[in-house]
Amino acid sequence: MTQPLVFMMGEFPAEIPTDRQYAKNHMWAMSDPSLSSTNRFGFTAYAVRLLQDVYFLDWHFDAPAPVSEQQEIGSVESKKAESSLYSPLSGEISTFNAQLLADPSGINVDKYGEGWLFEIQPSDNQAETLLSAEQYVDHLADVWVITQRTIKGQLND
Amino acid sequence: MIKPLNVFVSSGLSHHPDKRQIEQSVTDLLALDPRVKVTMIPNLYDLRPDGDAYSQLKALDDDFIVISWMFQRAAHWILDRNGVLGQTGEVEFGAEEDEDADELEEDVLEEEEKQRVVDTLDIPDRSIYCLQFQHPSDAQHYVNEVVRIAESSLMQWISGTPDQSQLDRFLNAEQRNEPELNAVEEKAGRRWYPVIDFSRCTNCMECIDFCLFGVYGVDTQETILVEQPDNCRKGCPACSRVCPENAIVFPQHKSPAIAGAPAETGGLKIDLSLLFGAPDAQEAAARERDEQLMLAGRSPVEESGNAQAISMEPRQVQNVGADKDDLDQLIDGLDSLDL
Repeated sequence: MTQPLVFMMGEFPAEIPTDRQYAKNHMWAMSDPSLSSTNRFGFTAYAVRLLQDVYFLDWHFDAPAPVSEQQEIGSVESKKAESSLYSPLSGEISTFNAQLLADPSGINVDKYGEGWLFEIQPSDNQAETLLSAEQYVDHLADVWVITQRTIKGQLND
Repeated sequence: MIKPLNVFVSSGLSHHPDKRQIEQSVTDLLALDPRVKVTMIPNLYDLRPDGDAYSQLKALDDDFIVISWMFQRAAHWILDRNGVLGQTGEVEFGAEEDEDADELEEDVLEEEEKQRVVDTLDIPDRSIYCLQFQHPSDAQHYVNEVVRIAESSLMQWISGTPDQSQLDRFLNAEQRNEPELNAVEEKAGRRWYPVIDFSRCTNCMECIDFCLFGVYGVDTQETILVEQPDNCRKGCPACSRVCPENAIVFPQHKSPAIAGAPAETGGLKIDLSLLFGAPDAQEAAARERDEQLMLAGRSPVEESGNAQAISMEPRQVQNVGADKDDLDQLIDGLDSLDL
């Protein structure tokens, strides 16, 4: 595996491995060859840096279940932030990572490995909407300004 | 004789042993306190308005307390919808500290300019105190708050010079020897329906325009109300997203904002939802409603090229712009008569 790309979030280097694809909502996607086209998803370093220690992870329903892109599927709460979670693709969620529900700190410990969130069987053509590592880093450059503004805006409220 | 204050403990739906435990501990402690009359009832949200539990609640004229797992707004307005009206009693337990008071004042000043439905309602001059079980927690906290409320409620109702000995007996009440516990056994199947918070509702009618399942209606005063709660599609929170005042509450929804959390809390945490892929609220609402329409075997609302299209297209499009015949003229004439 080649060296990961790095995106600087201010002083913090966010590592973006090149062995996988990415979605705009800051999730990575990897195909497991043994499971045909199922994609496994997790949080990228960018997302985890914003969340910091994850305290609570909740999914709105049980797997397996059909989902559409941008559908609200769960929520996450961390030391510094909270957020609803949205599906990166349309398709069917086949599994949620059960260990993570018992202890969501796995996200902080191994975000690109054991801290995966769920597996989706994407509908036709959906996998084509995913970004390469380079495209994702470009996307980060675009959203970094917005991200900072969002956070500063909320802190000043 | 000073009447004991009624306290209703409404059990939650969760089977979590810790949750059951806290309900039981609080009830047991209150059962020994002579200042209080405690009654256990099933979940307030699922109970039918014509059942035993609500009959008991409706029969009360005085202040009372409800302890449930729902947010205060949710509990208060569920009671209101089912015929149990009262002023909102102030609860100190679990209240946020007033660090954000200054910013809040600005928001409040803006809010005062809008007319809220609650201003037009005729609400009796007694207070309903809705406490929320929080997990984990200590049973004694709830009991202390109940006693505080009992004392302050008593102070309000005393007229003339209180009999000092009576007052002393009340304030220094000894525990009962035997616990006095009442319970209402009632079957309550799981329900799902919206609850309108009339302290925020401005009667704008967005919800009745949006919901295509006939959940909303208007009463004889032309005020919005939840007319057919059981028409509501289970799990669907779509209408709460279109309400411009966040006045629609789904007490069992996972998201605290939709379940009735007070507006001020959550200010300490950053909300990253927009960064993590959240759609626009109107978009999300329209999509959720269309999912429900499809599940019910109906067709989704036409997207007239505009992603924000929420209302139905006009029917009989071919007649729009056509000449009006005598019948049309007559009907138009009726409109102008302003009957």
